[in-house]
Amino acid sequence: MANSLKTDMKNLNETIKRVMTDDGGGVSDERDVREATARSQHDFPYGRGEEAQVTRREFCNFLALTSTALFVSAAGFAAKAALDARASVSFAPSRVEGAESLAPGSAMNFLYPSEKDTAILVRDAEGQYHAYGQKCTHLACPVYYERAHARFECPCHEGAFDIKTGNVLYGPPPRPLDRIELEVRDGGEVWATGRVPGGGEHAI
Amino acid sequence: MQVSRRGAGRGHAAVFQARLILLVMINVAQLWILSAAVEAALARHYSLLVPLVVASGVCWLIALSIVLWWRPVSRRYTSTGYVRESAPQRK
Repeated sequence: MANSLKTDMKNLNETIKRVMTDDGGGVSDERDVREATARSQHDFPYGRGEEAQVTRREFCNFLALTSTALFVSAAGFAAKAALDARASVSFAPSRVEGAESLAPGSAMNFLYPSEKDTAILVRDAEGQYHAYGQKCTHLACPVYYERAHARFECPCHEGAFDIKTGNVLYGPPPRPLDRIELEVRDGGEVWATGRVPGGGEHAI
Repeated sequence: MQVSRRGAGRGHAAVFQARLILLVMINVAQLWILSAAVEAALARHYSLLVPLVVASGVCWLIALSIVLWWRPVSRRYTSTGYVRESAPQRK
């Protein structure tokens, strides 16, 4: 008994190894595995055809589970948004490295207020600095600076923002970009000193 | 009231079909509610979130009631153990 089980296991392992290394030109891998596990199938019958079928009751239960998951997702998302809105964030001033050498009409990315928050700094044609959070206010895709039209554009749903105000020019975004307050200090150093949410309600 | 076996089977299938259709419709509505909640949160329209979550909860309760308690009339025993008076007696 023990020997035959060992033989079965050896056959199965060899079959699995062969199927895994097969380049696809061989015979059906499923048939090979079923042949190698024929003895086990006697003890644990497994019908491929039966498994592929889903009864209406099972499908109903699956739909009920999906409904539960969707409800939990909506509640969880709302709860997280509420917590984030109430959380007090402190903004420590942070120097924007390389901003001094930024040419007019160009932009660069930096991280503010935390290492996870990407922001975009742009210097307009007049030499003024403007900085915003890089997340589009529609579905949080990163916006980029479109030099040809001097505006921020979102590649996901074709929204656009004004570089001087952060306001929506067109597209689906419902509110302006989050504005980052800047301060130009001695020697032309640019410092980020705070972040102001662009529009919307500030707390629940 | 006597219900023929064939008639009861047909009613059973119809009820299951109706349950499936209703559940699919509820899932679609909940998907829409979830996407609306995501958009509302990103737009910082927080006052919309509570009604959306309540709506999703109502949909969920309806889905649960359809799955757990809505049974064909021909079925004698319900999930709560209640024995229907009008159900045909088994021989």
